[in-house]
Amino acid sequence: MTGAELTIDLLAKHGVNEVFGYPGGAIMPIYDALYGAPVKHYLTRHEQGAGFAAVGFARSTGKLGVCFATSGPGATNLITALADAMMDSVPLLAITGQVPTAAIGSDAFQEIDVLGMSLSCTKHSYMVERAEDLAEILQEAMHLAQSGRPGPVLVDIPKDIQLAQVPFHPWLAADDYLPQLDLNQVAIANQLLSEAKRPVAYVGGGVQSAGAQNELMQFLEKTQMPAVSTLKALGSVLPDYEYDLGMLGMHGGQAANLAVQECDVLVCIGARFDDRVTGNLSKFAAKAKVIHLDIDVAEVGKRKPAKASLIADLKTSLPQLECFVTQQAWLAHTKEMMVKHTWRYDYPGEKVFAPYLLNQLSQRMPKTGVVCCDVGQHQMWVAQHMKFSHPSNHLSSGGAGTMGFGLPAAIGAQVARPDDFVITVSGDGSIMMNIQELATIRRNNLPVKILILDNQRLGMVRQWQELFFDGRYSETNLSDNPDFVQLAAVFGIPGQTITHANQVDDAITALVNSTGPYIVHACIDDKENVWPLVPPGAANDEMMTESAK
Amino acid sequence: MKHSLTVTLKNQSVAVERFLRVVRHRGFDLTHLQINLDDGHYQVEMTVDSDKPVYLLTTQLAKLVDVKQVMLQSVQQQQAM
Repeated sequence: MTGAELTIDLLAKHGVNEVFGYPGGAIMPIYDALYGAPVKHYLTRHEQGAGFAAVGFARSTGKLGVCFATSGPGATNLITALADAMMDSVPLLAITGQVPTAAIGSDAFQEIDVLGMSLSCTKHSYMVERAEDLAEILQEAMHLAQSGRPGPVLVDIPKDIQLAQVPFHPWLAADDYLPQLDLNQVAIANQLLSEAKRPVAYVGGGVQSAGAQNELMQFLEKTQMPAVSTLKALGSVLPDYEYDLGMLGMHGGQAANLAVQECDVLVCIGARFDDRVTGNLSKFAAKAKVIHLDIDVAEVGKRKPAKASLIADLKTSLPQLECFVTQQAWLAHTKEMMVKHTWRYDYPGEKVFAPYLLNQLSQRMPKTGVVCCDVGQHQMWVAQHMKFSHPSNHLSSGGAGTMGFGLPAAIGAQVARPDDFVITVSGDGSIMMNIQELATIRRNNLPVKILILDNQRLGMVRQWQELFFDGRYSETNLSDNPDFVQLAAVFGIPGQTITHANQVDDAITALVNSTGPYIVHACIDDKENVWPLVPPGAANDEMMTESAK
Repeated sequence: MKHSLTVTLKNQSVAVERFLRVVRHRGFDLTHLQINLDDGHYQVEMTVDSDKPVYLLTTQLAKLVDVKQVMLQSVQQQQAM
């Protein structure tokens, strides 16, 4: 068996049935081994598209996502997707072809030091130096990507090793080092909880990584503790939970941010006090004692000290928290804030109001559907105005904030979940960053839906220019974008443009009822902003709102 | 504040590079470094300087797949300039 055949064989043995990629010279033996193999390959039109499709596959299923690229520029094009997966802890395996071993270091055609480039954007990475190591490296790489705190792993395979006859040795993973719960810390945490007057659960992406949604909801249902979520955690707290305050942070809801600022105990569950969550860190939850639950000890105390730290898999640590019942006065106050600061959709104008459109879409699309966002204003509107029943139904580039994520991520999600409704919600800036993947939708007849909220601007940057740069709109005007419906039509994708509020309901009907791919191009007011907003350097209770602008 | 650490790495071609990248990226200046290949592992002795708590570095280093062990040897207050 050649190294290339072994690579495909091991993927299949590991249960990988779909991969995303783009061929080239240094990875040709692997593509040759793919020919007729049981592993289905989805050809994207750019390696970044392959990387994000693999991320979308992984995030929508919890399984390993796999992408292929050739050496040199093929591999460099994958780097952004690797960085994105690193920031959001996504289990991803990237396999890159490399020039033959003898040519490495000679500045050969399409030779780049991919291993060197990978160091800052992978959980781990390898270059296979000996054919006899290939089997072990691939098996270890798949294991590493999915174990502990998940992340991207890259394996760079020189062409001669792909062509060489290689031995296969089954590799058995050593027992994973899983941190053991410190019972003293558990006792401290439970003491803090028993004394809490105003507790809040701060829920992060770790809940999905651990598959701990049931444990989370059991904890919340028993304690009735008000809960706030990070962008990546949306869907972890079920939408019908009575004290779900939604997203916190820079564009979080006012009730969520105010509750955190007022709380006396903050139970951080698989989150990392990201700067977009905390605003001014020194003022974030300043009255709160922190109980931090995470599998990664490096996150504890990284940004905010914890009084108690439970370092373990959340499925183990969450049930250790004793279930008291939150005090009624705090719950009543929380409820008051939720009512006072509820979202409003009674926009007076005739134009399409994006929050209303998204809220209607959320109500009318299947509850099992997947929404894949790009990055910018539309991304925050999705987080604010759509509801999700599981974090695998909301794919949003959180830590890296990568424009161009949405369309290829939706392709990956649709491949992974062919029977589910999958839609990418994008902006007129982001959609152009990986627009070539419309060809991948067409090639594979994928029924991916596309909603573009078009303000003819790089909206979030424009908003900041308006608010913090004296209205100096430097390079944010995108009014020369192409006609998106015509563009989609070239790829065989039907759709419509809407410009008025009274067209919204019919457009959603067309979108939801379409059996194939469909695009709705919604023209919105170019001056519409995302509110509330925690300005730079401010605390989360110093939010700017539309009325106070 | 200066800190002396001893770190044991797997003998992998990229291990030292990966480890040193983390030291820099996490905001620690390297003031001393000695690496020996001993019994199939790299033994790294180093001194780093930073205003940040050293656990912010040791916990990040300990996560690396190539790192077998991280030991904090000593802590030195920086001389007043």
